[in-house]
Amino acid sequence: MTPEIQVNDYLARLRASLTGMTVAEREDIVEEIHMHIRERSSDSRTSVETVLAGLGPADDLAQQYRTGLLVQQARTSLSPVVILRAALRWAATGVEGFIVFVIALIGYMMGVSFLLLALIKPFFPRNTGLWVGPDQFNFSFRLGATMTNPASPVHEVLGWWLIPVCLVVGSLSLALTTKLLQFLMGRFHWKVPFASTAQARSAMMAL
Amino acid sequence: MTQVNPPEIESPDKWEAQMRKGCLEMAVLASLWHGRLYGLEILRVLERDSSLVLAEGTIYPILNRLRAEGLVQSQWVEAEAGHPRKYYELTQSGRDRATRMAETWTQFSAALGSLIEPVLKDRKVEQPL
Repeated sequence: MTPEIQVNDYLARLRASLTGMTVAEREDIVEEIHMHIRERSSDSRTSVETVLAGLGPADDLAQQYRTGLLVQQARTSLSPVVILRAALRWAATGVEGFIVFVIALIGYMMGVSFLLLALIKPFFPRNTGLWVGPDQFNFSFRLGATMTNPASPVHEVLGWWLIPVCLVVGSLSLALTTKLLQFLMGRFHWKVPFASTAQARSAMMAL
Repeated sequence: MTQVNPPEIESPDKWEAQMRKGCLEMAVLASLWHGRLYGLEILRVLERDSSLVLAEGTIYPILNRLRAEGLVQSQWVEAEAGHPRKYYELTQSGRDRATRMAETWTQFSAALGSLIEPVLKDRKVEQPL
């Protein structure tokens, strides 16, 4: 494989892995890496193989870009989708990220569940409510009407007040989860590969 | 007799890597303090002036993140070598951040210096001539 084909192959893999960004952003990154390879390999002592090895696998390099941009977006975005995607990417890096992802999942699921209860109450008024009994206190949607039987010790207490209560609690859950996740994203630890001292010195001598 | 294993101690190499990682953003911003540089030049400055040696491909995603945060801005410039280079320079926000980080680092380092001074002094005494 000629050096030119090796470089083109590397850049094609990088381009294909740089997802989740505009074409202009992607081409800007590919061009910068292309110029780096060109400049480093213009020295006759440095082979293209050495330069590409120094850059690391194209997929890994692309992932560093993707993770960086995603976490950056998540710190300022209000979109649960963006925040959940960033949390999922973080979860892939270790236990801390996994815990953050679980918090995000629980927080958002709770928020969405409350909002759904508020939405379905007008359509299923007898089956949706806050059910209270001797051993029970829960918001839920129940199939069938057995729980609303006057003889049952479990009964619904909120009535139509369920709608504003669920709207407020659901919105608060979504907002608080978003704020907490944005705060936690600030603690994201960047995986920065340092070269080992011996490798580094020989690599930098060749620069 | 039960053998008690000593607690696992984090290796100095790992600790040093963590410390270097923590300083990286400040070092990259500081490398741009005197003017614009392109990626390869930043790598050289970090190696020459701070002994921070990154895997080569790492500097570009870091610069991309700093740009997304508005701390640096970039511009393609046609070079004499015949191919364009992407130069980075600090924005005002980047200069402010670099200043704050440098002040914090200096204060922290000075405070810690007085604490660890006896450690280094005693080590010199213990070392055979």
